Parts: sequence; structure tokens; C-alpha cells
Amino acid sequence: MKLDTSGLETFVPPSRGLNVLPSDFTASPAFDLPGCTDFDGFQKNAVQMVKPAKGTTTLAFIFKEGVIVAADSRASMGGYISSQTVKKIIEINPYMIGTMAGGAADCQFWHRNLGIKCRLHELANKRRISVTGASKLLANILYSYRGMGLSVGTMIAGWDETGPGLYYVDSEGGRLKGKRFSVGSGSPYAYAVLDSGYRFDLSIEEAAELARRAIYHATFRDGASGGVASVYYVGPDGWKKLSGDDVGELHYKYYPVVTSSVEQEMAEAPVA
Amino acid sequence: MSIFEYNGSALVAMVGKNCFAIASDRRLGVQLQTIATDFRRIYKIHDKLYIGLSGLATDAQTLYQRLVFRHKLYQLREERDMKPETFASLVSALLYEKRFGPYFCQPVIAGLGDDNKPFICTMDSIGAKELAKDFVVAGTASESLYGACESMYKPDMEPEELFETISQALLASVDRDCLSGWGGHVLLVTPTEVQEKALKGRMD
Amino acid sequence: MALRGDWVYENNGGTCVAIAGSDYCVVAADTRLSVGYSIYTRDYSKICKLADKCVLASSGFQGDMKALQKNLAAKHLIYQHQHNKQMSCPAMARLLSNTLYYKRFFPYYTFNILGGLDNEGKGCVYSYDAVGSYERTGYSCQGTGGNLITPVLDNQLKSPSPLLLPSRDAVTPLSESEAVDLVKDVFASATERDIYTGDKLEIIIVNATGIRQEFLDLRKD
Repeated sequence: MKLDTSGLETFVPPSRGLNVLPSDFTASPAFDLPGCTDFDGFQKNAVQMVKPAKGTTTLAFIFKEGVIVAADSRASMGGYISSQTVKKIIEINPYMIGTMAGGAADCQFWHRNLGIKCRLHELANKRRISVTGASKLLANILYSYRGMGLSVGTMIAGWDETGPGLYYVDSEGGRLKGKRFSVGSGSPYAYAVLDSGYRFDLSIEEAAELARRAIYHATFRDGASGGVASVYYVGPDGWKKLSGDDVGELHYKYYPVVTSSVEQEMAEAPVA
Repeated sequence: MSIFEYNGSALVAMVGKNCFAIASDRRLGVQLQTIATDFRRIYKIHDKLYIGLSGLATDAQTLYQRLVFRHKLYQLREERDMKPETFASLVSALLYEKRFGPYFCQPVIAGLGDDNKPFICTMDSIGAKELAKDFVVAGTASESLYGACESMYKPDMEPEELFETISQALLASVDRDCLSGWGGHVLLVTPTEVQEKALKGRMD
Repeated sequence: MALRGDWVYENNGGTCVAIAGSDYCVVAADTRLSVGYSIYTRDYSKICKLADKCVLASSGFQGDMKALQKNLAAKHLIYQHQHNKQMSCPAMARLLSNTLYYKRFFPYYTFNILGGLDNEGKGCVYSYDAVGSYERTGYSCQGTGGNLITPVLDNQLKSPSPLLLPSRDAVTPLSESEAVDLVKDVFASATERDIYTGDKLEIIIVNATGIRQEFLDLRKD
């Protein structure tokens, strides 16, 4: 099988004509493959050892004013929480953001790669890439690595010449256009809140609150989601972070602890 | 995922000066899904003896009922409460009975014995006792708890300081574990009184 | 884990910790190198100085650790020749991420922490997984003792998340000497419970005046 390394081409530094070193340091980067006969078995074992981060809640939806994107911030390895401060909403360019679910490294790297490709497209064509185009670039790359064990479940949200755009792209090669998505282990809980509260004509504040609530409820029920609920809004002028709330504090804001009333207090017995 | 991690749990017991504290989280889950956030894993045997059962919740409840039954029989025959050491041996024997089909529980036993000497111990699911002078931990957050307790524990703490220490250790640990947390229970047992407190924690 | 057939990895254990402050960065690691129940050596440095204000601490498989360190050192040398300056810490962080990801299908079995000072002279810590996902944090702990140490650091240093909006100041409130003492404390504790951590603690302190090194003996059992 030949690997498509076209995803890496943009990384090659401009040649300085000094490549006399016989080493591979200045050669164009490529993915090393293990020299073994059973690639799948090797991957399975290697994945067991490096245990990439899994478990997430992310969501995005289109409404009257644009797109709302929200996510939690937890990374877990098995039952252990390896980080509570992961940035799961990746800023691709000022008009487009992507979300991260599945393998953290896979998402981070390929979103970075997508950012470069989008910028190059902008320079070549003198206009910004459409959300449709960007999501297809990513989907095509991921499709070329199908079966090699990448794990990506992402939503690409942005604003282009046609207005708001939202696509779901995954490492199995799937690419779906839609109005409302949620991805990750907490998605069933997020969908429940999102579907019951969603209307197309929400105001920005209402939409942000709906997204925040959906993420909060998902973090409450899902053990692998938690940390900070970040909410982004993408409008005609690009994306903007609307809020970032620690769900540890958010819980007590939604459900304050009520001190139970004292029925009877102890008092000094009256002197006979 | 191991059957011990099916419901998720965090348990810790610490010894102070003539007192002890035992604490647990409040979550009951099915793998990653949280079912209840007011679950109790620490059970009272008598006023100065408590057992916490980490691991599979159904086995913990069954085991607790058998323990209560045996303890009541003991009270009827002997007309006194069991000593913690005796009780630990009882738990150990009960667990070993099921050597080849064990209860999926790791117990933590804490009590005040003769002349109010604190006693804590843990054992594995088939009853191998491990006595400790300082602290014992169990559950899915046990590794984090070991680290936290090892750093925070001091010998001969007074009840107030003991409560603060065990609470900090528990909350710090469960915040690094997906399968436990959602608040905590702390029982502080001194020769004269038992204080039970519910801890407010992160709910994610 | 034995090296049999296609399998080429081993876990040599070890723990790394890094704490960033307003104008310093403390990076520490134990010096034990072991496999299974045996100790290969009690004096193996897991910390590698990459630039004047950038050090890398790694744990995992020693072979991959060394290969990664040499790879980065060579790339840094080429960078110096091309740009006539040292690489900044954030740049090195991105380079390390890409280097790790290029081996996505044949990973370096290493868990890394990059510590140093950023362009403004503030302390910075970058924490990685084995295949290159990374994040800038105020403090980090990785390796076999990571699960034991992290909750203690959380408890002592709990800083507001950088994702919060409105944002809150996330700098570790500790002074340099307090941070060094904390590192010594947590390693002493981890050594009690982790068999792969012990022997000696190597502490590197990076600040405006340069890099300083300290050692502390740990339990040898």
C-alpha cells in the first residue's frame, strides 16, 4: 500500500541549497511505518500502550444568527483524567473553527494541517475557502488514511460567501452537512437538551445558553466529559468566544445548594 | 474494563490521635454513565465500627447484608459489639469462602477498638488482610488517593485537622478520576461522638 | 515487556514534573531506569537541555527517549545554522509535536514535558502525549508516578483554567524556592508508592539568569 503523504507537502521548508547532510532531517517529512508484517496487530498493541485521549462532548448548530459551537475540556486515558484544560475548539482561521473528538493528536495535527491548506487556498485564489471546500479537504485526507487507525470526529463550522456552514467529518471517511450535530461520548446527553430546546429563531444569547446547558448536562452524566464549557459563536464577522465556564461552578449556579431549614433548635431549659 | 471499575468508587480511611475518619465519593455509575450522585458506600456496623465497600455495588450491598446478619448473631450470643480486629477477620473469612467466585469488592474497615485505639485495614476481594498505621485507600481512584494521602498525611492529627486532610485528599483524587466523585461523604469518629459530613464537590 | 518478534517497546519507567512560574520554570525527573522488577541503573538523566531556555524531560522507553532527544538536538542545530539564533520555547514545542506525530503509526513510546521560558520571559510548560497532542499548562506531571503526583499538584497549585472567559490570572502563585520545595516533596511521596521512581532527583531551574541544576537523594529501595 502506498501512503498519501500529500497532506504533508506544505511542511517542506524552502530548500536552502545546503542539503549536503545525508541525514533525513532536511528531507521532506513522512510517516514512519513499523517494519513488521502484522501492521494491524502492531497498531492495536501500540494504541494500548500510548492510550490516546478519548471521551468528549462537543456540539454545534446553525440558527438564525449564525453557528454556535460548544465543547467540554476533559481528556481521559481509561479512567484517569489526564487533563481538564484541553482546547477542543480549534481555531482554523478567523472565520472557521473545528471541534475535536477522538484522538487528541490526530485532531490537533490534521486541523493544523487544514489551517495551512486553507491559507494557501486563500493566497492562490484571493478569497477565503468555503466551509464546504475546507471540510472536503479534511475528509479527503482522512479518507486516504482509512483503516490505519486514525480516530477523528470533528465538526467544521464557519461563515463563507453562502452564509453559515456546518459539516461533520470523521476518520471513517464520513462527511455530512447539517443544522445540528453533537459528537463524543457525551453526545446522547447533549442531543437530549439540544433537541428539546432548539429553535431556528433563537437569539445569540438564547443559543449560547442552550449550548452551555447541553454541555453542562452532558458533563454531569458522562464520566469522560468535564472541565470547562466553552461556547463559540460564528457570525458574518468571524468567530468569537462567548463564554468559558467551569462546570464545577456552573452546577451550583444552575442548582444552588439550599440549606435545609432547622425544625427545632436546642435552647437552654427554662429555670424552674 | 475490569468489573471492579464497573460502578466506580473512591474510598479512604485515615487514623488520627484517638480518632479516625473514613470517606467515600457519592457516585454510582454504569461504566461512564452516572446513575446516582447520592450513593453510600460506607456502612455502619456499630457506633465505633464502619466498613466501606469499593468495587461492584451489587456485591457490596449483598456483602454488607451478610455482615450485618453475622454481627447481629454475634451480638445475641456475646452480648457485646465486635472488636474491629474480630470484624476484620470475619470479613476476611466471608470473602475467602468465595475464593473461586469472589465478591468483586475491596473493603476498607475502620473502627475504634479497646481503649479507643483506632484500627484501619483493607483487604483484597478474597480476604487478604492488610493492616496499616496511617491510611488505607480503595476504589478506582486508589492511585490518586495513594499519592494525595502520602503527601498530606501526618501522624497524630486532631479530629478537625484529620477531617480537613481526608477531605482535601479525597476531593483532589476524585477530580482526577472519571469514575468517582460527584461529592463526598466523610465520617469522623472520636471516642465521644460521630460526625458525618457531606462534601460539596465538582459534579463532572 | 520483552522485546519479542515485531514488538519493539519496553517501559523503563520514571517520572517527570514541571512547574512554571511568573519568571522561572522548574523541571524535574528521577534518575532511575528500570524494566519490570529490575533496575538497569540508578543514575540516568531523563532531562535534556535543548536550548538556553528550553529543556525536555521524558519518560517511557529509553531507546525512543534518546532517539527523540538526538533528533530534536539535530533539528535545533540546523535551525541555529539557518537562522543564527536559538529556537524559542513555543517554537520548540510545535516542533516536538510535529516530530512525534510524524511517527503516528510507529510512535516514539515517550511521554514528554517541555519546560522553559517563553518570548516574554514567563515560565512555560508544554505537556504531550506519545503521538504529539500538546497543551500549554502551568504545571504538569508525566510518567509512572504521574497518577500519584498530579492530584497533589492540583491541590497545591490549582490555577484557574486558561479556557475561562472572562479569563482569570493563571500564573502559579509560588516563588521559585517554594516550587523547588514542592517538587522535592511530591517526589519523596511518589517514591514511597511507585517502584519505578526513586534513587535520585534531578531538578533543573530555568530563569532569566540561566539554567541551574540541583540534586536530591531519594529512596533506593
